[in-house]
This record gives sequence, structure tokens and C-alpha cells, in this order.
Amino acid sequence: MSGPIPAGSTSRLITLHEAILAALLVAVLAFAAWLEPSFIGLNTQRELSTHAIELALLSIPTCLVIVSGGIDLSVGSIMALAAVVLGMLHESGINMGVGALAAVAVGAAAGSLNGAFVAAVRVHPLIVTLATFAAFRGLAEGVSLGRPISGFPDFFLRIGSGMALGVPLSVLMVLLIAAAGLVAVRRSVAGAWVYAIGDNERAARYCGIPVDKVKIALYTLNGAAAGLAGVLYVARRNTAKADVGSGMELEVITAVVLGGTSIFGGRGTILGTLLGVALIHELRELVSWHWQHDELVRIVIGTILIASILLNNVVGWRRP
Amino acid sequence: MTRFWVAIAACLAVLAGVLVAAGAAPRWAPGAGERPQKKLTICLLPKKKGLPYFTTCAKGAEEAAKELGNVDLLYDGPTDGSPEKAASMVDRWALRGADVIAVSPNDPEVLGQAMKRAREKGVHVLTWDADAAPATREFMVNQATARDIGYALVDTMARDIGGEHPEGKVAIITATLTAANQNEWIRYMKERLANYPGVTLVATEPSNEDQRLAFQIAQDLMKAHPDLKGIFGISSVSFPGAAEAVKQAGKSGRVLVTGLATPNDMKAYVHDGTVKSVVLWNTIDLGYLTVRAAEAIATGKLKAGATSFDAGRLGTKTVEGDQILLGKILVFTKDTIDQFDF
Amino acid sequence: MSLASSHPGPGSKRGSGARYLVVLSLLVATIVAVSLINPAFATVQNFRDLLGQCAPVVIVGCGMTLVVLTGEIDISVGSLLGLLGALIGVLSSPQRLGLPPPVVVGLVLMAGAAVGLLNGVLVTAGRVPSIIATLGMLTVLRGVTELIMGGEWITDLPPGIRVLGIGSAAGMPWCLWCAAAVSLMFVVVAHRTRYGLRLYAIGGNPAAAAMAGIHTSGVKTAAFALLGLMTGVAALVTVPQQSVVESGIGVGFELVVVSAVVVGGTSIRGGHGGITGTVLAALLLCGVRPMLVFLKLGETATYWERAIQGGFILAAVLLDHWARRDARGRAVGVIA
Repeated sequence: MSGPIPAGSTSRLITLHEAILAALLVAVLAFAAWLEPSFIGLNTQRELSTHAIELALLSIPTCLVIVSGGIDLSVGSIMALAAVVLGMLHESGINMGVGALAAVAVGAAAGSLNGAFVAAVRVHPLIVTLATFAAFRGLAEGVSLGRPISGFPDFFLRIGSGMALGVPLSVLMVLLIAAAGLVAVRRSVAGAWVYAIGDNERAARYCGIPVDKVKIALYTLNGAAAGLAGVLYVARRNTAKADVGSGMELEVITAVVLGGTSIFGGRGTILGTLLGVALIHELRELVSWHWQHDELVRIVIGTILIASILLNNVVGWRRP
Repeated sequence: MTRFWVAIAACLAVLAGVLVAAGAAPRWAPGAGERPQKKLTICLLPKKKGLPYFTTCAKGAEEAAKELGNVDLLYDGPTDGSPEKAASMVDRWALRGADVIAVSPNDPEVLGQAMKRAREKGVHVLTWDADAAPATREFMVNQATARDIGYALVDTMARDIGGEHPEGKVAIITATLTAANQNEWIRYMKERLANYPGVTLVATEPSNEDQRLAFQIAQDLMKAHPDLKGIFGISSVSFPGAAEAVKQAGKSGRVLVTGLATPNDMKAYVHDGTVKSVVLWNTIDLGYLTVRAAEAIATGKLKAGATSFDAGRLGTKTVEGDQILLGKILVFTKDTIDQFDF
Repeated sequence: MSLASSHPGPGSKRGSGARYLVVLSLLVATIVAVSLINPAFATVQNFRDLLGQCAPVVIVGCGMTLVVLTGEIDISVGSLLGLLGALIGVLSSPQRLGLPPPVVVGLVLMAGAAVGLLNGVLVTAGRVPSIIATLGMLTVLRGVTELIMGGEWITDLPPGIRVLGIGSAAGMPWCLWCAAAVSLMFVVVAHRTRYGLRLYAIGGNPAAAAMAGIHTSGVKTAAFALLGLMTGVAALVTVPQQSVVESGIGVGFELVVVSAVVVGGTSIRGGHGGITGTVLAALLLCGVRPMLVFLKLGETATYWERAIQGGFILAAVLLDHWARRDARGRAVGVIA
């Protein structure tokens, strides 16, 4: 598989793909400004930004999973499981902080199950995560009996809707995590390992990279992030239900692929993923805002996903 | 490589062009252009867009909007009934400066948040068809009291089963487990069932406003309880679903089905004997009343503490506290159902 | 990550013989168990209803098996089912287009095949990985469905169309006849035709198949188109069972279908498996919810349906893992 040296050790600060994504983002916003000026207002954008936090939070570790040559379709279901756990713990009177930690831990555990099946049992990640996609959500449905739980304490809800430094608290949290992730991937050896595994797993193994451990770690991280996303969702919407996050996996993969990550692994950056998330978020909100039709949103996002890869191939850029 | 990106940009441009040209949805530009009289923007949110029940309500709403003349009506809602999507819609409408938002909440907790935020922005909020916490809205436009609905359903079933002391097992197929209105009705139904000691409630299943699911659940219920005598379909979708299941199982007349649905949906079943009675209210009137009330609130004609207001062709409607009642429950039978078209 | 890989291993079409037996015995065991607990389960009427509920999964599952055998996947079938259902409604409803039933049937089948063809072309000529292409199509098709429904359900399907769903011949509803016919047809296609041979060859070792002169793109595209056609058939015999057409038909359907294929023994990497397994697994997976109702475990039991189905897939995967250990007890190659 041909390709440049993995971004983990690239000297460039930003690749061409990312620069163009950023330009596209600006173009979309400019188009929006012309079409619907009120959309661009800082106030509006600030309020709407909370709609994207789960997508951003889930896309970052999923990007790494895909870069390593895997895939994870169960992120939405893990979110639901974590949300339900949080809800049930809260109902039985347990402190919110403990509940939140437990929810994230459950997410991590779920992720590690994925990782174990992928790395130890050597099952294709598509099948594992398809199974856990059903199993985890089913677990959430069974445990919560389809019943939503609400009535969370105010201080918890403020995490979902509160502001800090003029920006929603949850958005700030996600940005910090994203920054941390960016730095970690670029500057750590483990980051380079992820790319190596995705590029050529067998060679990576021969190089002495602990492939299995890295994979398990990646899926566990993905699960933990999904757990956190579940907690943030509950804080935002004041409800913990088993159908939280359904359909998220599609959006996440779209954002990651749009951001320049190759579905075959070995290539892709977190910055690109974040730009992909921003692009999808703005497009989705703009279409909803102006045309008021959710159906159009779906069509636009699906088309972008297919078009981005299709054009990539047809125009003959780089074929892994 | 640049060609690739030129191609992507071109695609997006084309997409944008198509969308603009299509101008698919009613474009909303509050305050744009010179209008002799500023129109009120009223947003009507159903639990689940597409359900014939709500579509008929929307017809009544449009009628009121046209009659009033100073109203821009926007009827929209999640086609899958997702309360989160509905809450996002409420958020967006509030940001765009709607005057009144009328909500039929599928989950009062989730929508309550959005409704509160909307009120903080100065938007008038009312509920219709189903209620949310009183602090989140100014008024509730109710079709009838929950007690009347619950009692009517049970009394109708008892009458259909027949006899001095009706006997048999019954089951309820409801909408979602979170819908406040259905839950209220179930409460009163259980209360009323105490009047009929021979009738026992054996199951209450949700069908999530999915007719196919209601159909399958009804099938399963009949098989799991072979001596089932009656099924209540208390959502406008679970009723026809259950009726279809009874009909396909060849048990029309032996397993009685009653519930809430629009007469048009149930005409065929009433005429072929599967269903004896259909309980509902005039949904067109409900939509009409909601828009009338919304306009009255926005223009100050209806304020908290009022005891009545002028509801156009419905006459003067009483206001009890924060409840505006449509009032009448209708029971349609084979003799009367053809008179109604909604 | 690619789905079709060239891995050494038993490339035999009958390699999953053991799997059929496992699924079959599991199916029989659960039926017997539930019947003992609630005798009302074991009636002809009930089995007929159950089979009717499974019919769409069986019909589409057969088509999906062929696609998966070539090493690809199609997760847009649920949205396609919804779209075709909406199409049935819009084309035949007197309030909309009001076309005569035979025309509607023809158009729906053509539409299904056309979408399948599109998927196939995206995957072969467009070289878009099938998981991505069908993921995108899943969202696009769902959006198109809601657009053509226009926010209103269709409640007046004409009798000429409804007979497809509720009519029967010799006591069996059309959907059962269809499911049986489709299953038999596909068993023949997969195991007794050259096309079937090519399918297995491509899935087992794409490079070798190409070198052997097999027209990979053509075979794959045909499989996708066939799957789309089968989705059309499934839509025609199941959507008219209800008197309304709603916009949410088919959500989650693809999961059950793919699960049936995988649990039934067909490897997601292609080259192994067969139709029989898919059909048996479809019966097993679709039977979960009715069985839960019959076990009378209370109104909340049916919420475990999806968890149990997911459990089945994981179990199938583990089973594969243990089955492929070589003599020294180590896993042979990468599996599933």
C-alpha cells in the first residue's frame, strides 16, 4: 500500500486535505451568510454547537480505530448503554459523579469487549461491532425496560447547558479532549504505532509493535469516549433512554472518512476528522435551519459520504 | 490532486444550487420584506409527523390560520417521533424568533427542557393533545379530560362485550411508555375497570406508534392468551393495527377491538364487523382550537387567569385554570361513522 | 481493512455443514422448549404467522448471502425496503398516482433492481468500499423515502395491492410461497450454477478468480442487483399486509438480515457459507420476539429481543473460532 509517512511523524503542520476542508467550511459558512444571515450570528452558532459534541467526541477515537485498520459500528449503542447505566444508578440514589464515572467505565468495558474479540479471537471488526451494536443496545433496552429516566439534578444539567468563557461548557470539554488527542497522536510513539498497524499489520508485528495490545487499547478508548458522550448527552437532554445515539455510527464514519481517513487504514488525521465533523455539523444545521426538512439533511450527508470517496477514486488521486 | 478538490467543490456547489432552486420547504424569513401587517409565526409540533391523526389536526390548524389571516403556520415534527429531534426543532424555532410554539410532547421530560429555554427567550409555549410539566407551558389545549377519555374507553368496551356483567380478559396496546396522555388515560381506565369485576386486564404493551409492531403484538397477545376477549388500541396507530390482526386471525366479533383512531382509518373495520365502536374527538377541531388559542395568547386576547376566550367557529370556549378544553368525546358506530370525514 | 481477503482455508461450498446442524438444532430446541412451557405456541396457525413474519428476512437474506459470499456487504436494504414500500403506496394509492397493480409491481421490482445496480456500480466501477457505499445509500434512501411520502402516511392501499399481503393460495399466504420459492431458487443458483461457482471463487480468492478470467465486477454487480430485486419482492409481499404505509418501514431491517447471514454460517470475508444456513438462522432470529411473548415473562421481556439477537451473533462468531482451531489448538488464520 503506497502512501506518505504516517502523519504521526510528518513535519507539516497541516496537510493539503485539511486545508481544503477548512476552505470548504468557510465556503459553506459564506454561503449560509448569504442565504440566511441570522444563522451565522455568534449567538446562534454558540447554541447550535452543542448539537455536535457527541459527534466530535465519538469521531476522534473512531478515527484512530479506522486508521489502525479496524472499524467500530457499536459506538452509538455504547453511548446508550452508558446513558442507561447512569440513569439507573441515579435512580437508586447514587451520587452523580460516581454515576458518571461508572458510565464511562461501562463504556470502556464495552469497548474492551470489542477489542478482545478483534485482537484475541481475531474476528473481523465489522462483524464484532455489528454484533455488539445489537447486543449493547439490546442490553440497554432490556436493563432500562424501554423506560426513559429523567429528573437529573441541576448541577449536572448545567454541564450540558452551562457556559464558560462564553462557550458552552460541554463544547469546551470536547475541544480540550480533541487538543489532547491531537498532541498525543502526533508526539507519541503509540501514535506512530497506530499508523504502522493500519498501513501494514504484519510488518508492524515483525517490527515488534504490540499490535494486539494497541488494538485493544484503541477499542477501549473508543468505548470510554462513547461512555462520556452518553453522559454528556444525558446532561444536555435530561433524559437517559435506550435509544440514545441511534444512527450515530453512520454520522461518525461519515465525518471520519470525509476528514481524509482511509477506510483501509494507515492514513488520516484527527484534525481532518474535526474539520469533517464541523463541516457535517454546519451543513446539517444549515439545511435544517433554512429548508426545515430533515429528509434533505440525510440525503446531503449520505451523498457527501459517497461522493467524497467516489471522486477520490474516479479522479485517480490515490488508491490504497 | 487539485482536480479532486475542484470536483468536490463543484459537487457541493451543484448540490447547493439544486437545493436553492428547489426551494422545497416553506421559506421562513421573519421580518423580511415590507409587510403591511406583521404576521405571527405559530409553530405546531406533533408527536410524530405523518400519523393520520396529526395530519387531520394540521388540516384544522391550517383552516384557522387562513381564517385569522395574520398567522404564518409552520407544521413540522419528527417523522420517527423522536423526542430529541422534536426538542432540537423547538430550539431552532425559538432561535429564529417564533411567536408561539404549540407542542404535543412524546416525552415531556426531553421537550420540557427545550420548551423552558424557548420561554426564556420570550416565546409563548403551549401544549396540545398531550401535556408536559405545567411550568414549561402557559396553557394546555386538551381534547377532553383524561378521566372522560379513560372512562369512555372502558365503558365502550364493556358495552361491546355486552351482557349485564361483562366478562373477559382484555389487553391494552398503547403508544410509547413515555407519552403522558396515554399514561393518564390508562390510569383512569384501570380506575374504571374496577366497575366491571368480570373484566381483567392481562397486558399493557407499547407499540411506539408503529402500526406494523402493533399488528404483531396483537397477534402475539391473541395467541399467548387464547381466551382474550378485548383489545384496547389507545393510539391512533395501534387501534387499526390491532383490528387488522384480529381480522386476519379470523376472530372478528369474538375478540373485540376498540380504541382511539380517526373514523376514516376505521371505516372499513366498522363496516365489516371487526370493530363495533370507535372513540375519538374531532381532531380537525382540535387543530383549529390550538391555532386559535395560540393566536389569542400572542395577541394578548387570552391571558393567564382568563375563564373564556373566543374560538372562532367553535364559539366561546371555557378556560379552566390553564386547560382549554375542546370538550366532546365522540363514539362512532356503524350507523354514524360515515357522517364524518377525517 | 478489506472484506474479501485471500486467506488459505477450506474453500469448499459445503464447508459450513456443521453450522447448519448447530443452527437447526438450536431452532428445534427452542421451539420444543417454548412449546412445552406454553402449548399455545405449537399450533399450525402460529407457525404460519411466525413464518410470515420471517418471510421478508428470508427473501432478502437469500440475496444478501450472495453479496456476502463475494466478500461485500449491503447495509442499505432496510432503507430500500422503506423506499419501495413508500413507492408501493405512492404509486397505487388513489389519492396519489393510482396506477393499476401490475404496473405498480413492475415498477417496484425495477426500482429495487435499479438501486441494487447502483450499489453494485459504486462498489465495482467506483471502487467505493461496499460498507461505505451502502452506508451512504442507507441515509440517502431514507431521506428520499421521506421526501416522496411528503410527511403524510398513506392509508388507502387499493385491494388489488393488499391482496399481495393478505391473500393466500392453498392456505399459505403469498409471502410464504415467495419465501419458499426464493430460497429454493437461490440454493440452486448458489450451488448448481456456474454463476454460483464464480461467486464462491471471487469471495475465496479475488486475485485468483480474476486471473482465472472471471469477470469480477460483473458477478458482483449482478449480486447487488439481485439483492435489490429481492428487496422489491419482499416489499411487495409484506408492506401490503398493513393498510397503512408509514415512512419508518425497514429501520433496523438490515441488521437482522446480515445477522441471519452471519449466524447462518456465511463468512463475512466471503467464500464460505450458503443459503440454507441463512434461512435457518433467519427463522431463529425472527422467532426471538414471539417466543418471548409466549413465554409470558411479562410485558418487559420483549425488550431483550435485540440483546438476544446480538448474543446469537457473538455466539456464532465464537463457534467459528473454536471450530477452526487446528490440531494443536491454535486458531487457523483470521476468521469470520
